[in-house]
Amino acid sequence: MNEFVETLLEMQWHEPKSSYDVVIIGGGGHGLATAYYLATRHGITNVAVIEANYIGSGNSGRNTTIIRANYGIPESVRFYQHSLELYAGLEDETGCWIMHATKGLLWMAHTETGMRAERARALINTACGAETHVVGPQEIKQICPQIDLTGNGRYPVLGASYHVGAATARHDRVVWAYAQGAMQRGVTVLQHTKVTGLLRDGERVVGVQTDRGPISAGIVMSAVGGNVTKIAEHAEVRLPVRTHALQAFVTNAYGLDFPGIISDSELSCYVSQTPRGQMLIGAEFEPQPSYSMQSTFNSLASCAKKITNCLPFLRDLRVLRQWTGICDVSADFSPIMGFTGVDGFVISTGWGTWGFKGIPAGGEQMAELIATGKTPDLIAPFALDRFANDHSMADLGSAGTR
Amino acid sequence: MSDTTGAASPGRIVVDGRPIPYQAGDSVAVAVMRCGEHPKHGGTICLGGDCPNCSAIVDGVPYVRTCQTAATPGLVVRRHPAAGNPSFPAVAQPDITRSPVADHVDVRRETADIVVIGAGPSGAAAADAARAEGHEVMVLDARDSNEVVAIYGGPTVIVRRPNGMLHVHAHQVVVATGAAEIHPVCPGNNLRGIITARAAEQLHDAGVDLGNAVAIGTPPQGVPCTAVAGRIVRFEGTDTISAVVTMGDDGLEVTTPCITVIVGLGFAPRDMLSRMSGGLPVSVVGQAAEKFPLPPCPTAGTVCPCSRVEVEDLEGVWARGFHELELVKRASLCGTGTCQGGVCGPHLRSFVADRSGEVPEMFTARPASRQITLAEASADTYTDVFRRSPLHDEHLALGGQLDRFGGWWRPWNYGDHIAEYWAVREAVSLGDVSTLGKLVVSGPDAVELLERLYPTTVADIRPGRSRYVLLLNERGHLIDDGMICRETETRFVLTFTSGGAANAEMWVRDWAETWGLRVHVLDRTMSLAAINVTGPLASQLLQRVGLVDPPKFLQHRHDIVAGVPCHVMRLSFTGEASFELHHAVDRSVELWRALMEAGQDLGIKPHGLQALFGLRLEKGHVIVGMDSELDSTPRRLDMDWAVKMDKPDFLGKSALVRTAELPDHRRLFGFTMQGNAPTEGSPIWSDGNVVGHVASSFSSPLLGHAVMLGWLKHTPVPEQVQIDGRTASVAHPPFYDPEGRRARA
Repeated sequence: MNEFVETLLEMQWHEPKSSYDVVIIGGGGHGLATAYYLATRHGITNVAVIEANYIGSGNSGRNTTIIRANYGIPESVRFYQHSLELYAGLEDETGCWIMHATKGLLWMAHTETGMRAERARALINTACGAETHVVGPQEIKQICPQIDLTGNGRYPVLGASYHVGAATARHDRVVWAYAQGAMQRGVTVLQHTKVTGLLRDGERVVGVQTDRGPISAGIVMSAVGGNVTKIAEHAEVRLPVRTHALQAFVTNAYGLDFPGIISDSELSCYVSQTPRGQMLIGAEFEPQPSYSMQSTFNSLASCAKKITNCLPFLRDLRVLRQWTGICDVSADFSPIMGFTGVDGFVISTGWGTWGFKGIPAGGEQMAELIATGKTPDLIAPFALDRFANDHSMADLGSAGTR
Repeated sequence: MSDTTGAASPGRIVVDGRPIPYQAGDSVAVAVMRCGEHPKHGGTICLGGDCPNCSAIVDGVPYVRTCQTAATPGLVVRRHPAAGNPSFPAVAQPDITRSPVADHVDVRRETADIVVIGAGPSGAAAADAARAEGHEVMVLDARDSNEVVAIYGGPTVIVRRPNGMLHVHAHQVVVATGAAEIHPVCPGNNLRGIITARAAEQLHDAGVDLGNAVAIGTPPQGVPCTAVAGRIVRFEGTDTISAVVTMGDDGLEVTTPCITVIVGLGFAPRDMLSRMSGGLPVSVVGQAAEKFPLPPCPTAGTVCPCSRVEVEDLEGVWARGFHELELVKRASLCGTGTCQGGVCGPHLRSFVADRSGEVPEMFTARPASRQITLAEASADTYTDVFRRSPLHDEHLALGGQLDRFGGWWRPWNYGDHIAEYWAVREAVSLGDVSTLGKLVVSGPDAVELLERLYPTTVADIRPGRSRYVLLLNERGHLIDDGMICRETETRFVLTFTSGGAANAEMWVRDWAETWGLRVHVLDRTMSLAAINVTGPLASQLLQRVGLVDPPKFLQHRHDIVAGVPCHVMRLSFTGEASFELHHAVDRSVELWRALMEAGQDLGIKPHGLQALFGLRLEKGHVIVGMDSELDSTPRRLDMDWAVKMDKPDFLGKSALVRTAELPDHRRLFGFTMQGNAPTEGSPIWSDGNVVGHVASSFSSPLLGHAVMLGWLKHTPVPEQVQIDGRTASVAHPPFYDPEGRRARA
């Protein structure tokens, strides 16, 4: 038996009931992590997670597995740094091997404007607890000898910010770690169950309608990715969210020689090597809103072009598989977590292209919010009402490159 | 069917450092097997392009299916390591100041009414039928070296060929890719000496000696071999097969010694292309559309040779509660390698069907069906377009360090930004502002349009006068700034920032259309160049080159400067008297040189952005996108003076009215500090907390200390803060010439 299989823990599926204290819509990382932390931190186990497909079938199983905290605003740096730290302890906590590896992230710049952004990023990151340095071309070459510092003669590398604590983990195994931990403690996970509506008692949300019947709930949380605006519509909550496609691709597997995570902030592309040796390459989300998961050749071609500017050895690697996820992008490029203004209905959304790295902290904080009825300080800035209050968390500069 | 992906004439290739002869018609795999070798290290050989078992490093590219690669003289083949992955291709960069030379990949683009993928019987029939209906048909077959990588939207068919890429834009696609042969899954299926019936036919046709061959299942046609009845239990041997063990209906094992086993275990549709093209005008014909029976549920052996997944791995995954095809795939990694389920798919489905009682669909197919390198994927793609001003070569000739800014190549400095700074403050300097957005808006509703677009009053700007304006979106957030110059009652020239110009044009046009106003919008960003003549001696310089009476502050007019017709705008961003000369791009070099020449004895120098950013910062002028954020209202920028809330309406007004009632802790402030300027972006601390950050900073040569703009995001606003470990004071810009005398001089 290979080590990938040997190290898996067991899923304990439970029979569905008609009523739960908490129903979470969406069996991805955020939904399952919330259930896990409800069970482990707050002893709340009468919980169901409802998944339209199989667990981790959405963006949790389609992302590029990068964990980082090098954001541009203090509130985000603190949140993601906390998440990064939870990730680092997740294997010990759950006993699941999520293939976590701290690798460091180089975020390269080619222009004075780009360097200005990276210098600022390093300072604000470090001030908020996420160690990040500015490094010059020679240091970059030492960290990653494969880099062509001339950028194919077009994009010379002037420098980079180096985010020391950045890591990767196997996306599926993160989902399963939380699922297993939650199910062990009695949480029900219902796969292939579509939520078709919300049950209301006056204004209050009191459960969900599914294609397999109604389920009542003390509180309903949406942890949906990709179609969140449709779920929120059932509660008459309007979200400042647009859904965009994001594409990525992976090459065949090669020797494990590639150091760290290399990201090109100005060309918006990035690459890391998976534990199996594949090169995982991605870009930014498509500019036009769409629910389509159809991959495009243009995306593959332009991303391959960009990433090979500074990493010419990638030119001779062969493309194994290209795929697409759909991301809910909020108006200020920061996530939305917390109360919705509708009793009994809370939400975790707007995760755009950075949802994977926020799973542990997002789950932990939402669990606390549900258990205590109060918004924890760490996520208070990410409340939905910030848009109405004109207190947005604008951080476009950190959104481009996952 | 014979393999036509083969060599044209005999020759030699080099395999693992050893020259190997090949014959006409040989693929690399056939040439290797002709020498008695296995192109990998073991596993069933199908020669159909369906599995990973013949892939090798070909001319430095790993994972090339050698059965799909014609042998050509001198081709260098290295086998993948027996254990572990191939290493990265080496790229030589002996001199790190030079890029490694990259091979060029050609791309051809063609169109066709109908693309038929597969030239077998069903493909040929589909092609004939389509031609008979008068359609233009293109037939693509891997055996003719047209490997179809994927079908994308359009539909666009991406094809890999030995000499480059082919992109075919079709109206319809017919997938006629036939069927792949089932590989055996049993103990010993990683040994050498197992070939499929079709592979046996190919090898026999190519004159390859198969030795003592035993056939199991449907035997190959015309290949000498001994047929053995029953199903395969296991293969025996070390490295190479020495015997096959079978079991008949009687339940008894029979061991047959042999060195080659030919397996005819049935077929599975070769349907990856059709499975990835849902929603596209793609039809499937022939065996690719057929439902073949699944092989029996595997009980032991390697299921997925790509990811080295054994049956016991599938069993282990199932036992842990992963109870559907997708979860089994993800947990075991079965089907996630080079062939993307080509080999293991039928066995995996059979395994899941056996345990769940339902036959699952195959998992989603995605590009690439046949693999391409990143070089092949990106061939003929260009992503970097940065515009050049007409003065680009002048900047280079003057020693300008050019950099990309807002979509343009612009001079960062000319070697000494402090000298450039002093030229502006004390003499005269030229700046290339050709990159500014420039729109002409005219027509009977021009005033109405601009009144609605801008938070400033527009109607009271007299012809010949101009005004600084903010551009807000519906949320009241700053999206750009610039000047409004009124030329006549119904004609205005608007300027925008360099980076905001493209968006501004769409913005103005969209709103004009939305409101149904009678205006004409002309974008002159690219047709007009502009030179900013700035400094206390700017007027003097302009008088020397024929502008007898330069306009006064905030005036503008059309005039001749150094023989060049110009729209001359008097304004100031640097803090000194400044004249923007907007002129036709084809006169720009001439004008620039005349000004430089005439200003020589005045100490003229050109200035780059580095000096400009400092000059304007001393004046406290905000740069949109550098100092402002995505949600900066005029109030947050301390620019309420540029907003007339008593106007009937303008874009963003209702948002500003609403948010004016809300508590707001974000403000852009000025700061001063002794010593050098801190890094832009530095956190601003107060009582040990981060309370904001520095947006822009400059070590002012004139003032002898650091000046800054920065955000404070907490109240109450302290008088003093900590930046870069030093104490800084909150101050109100401008830091230089607060009365603006010099700009008006």
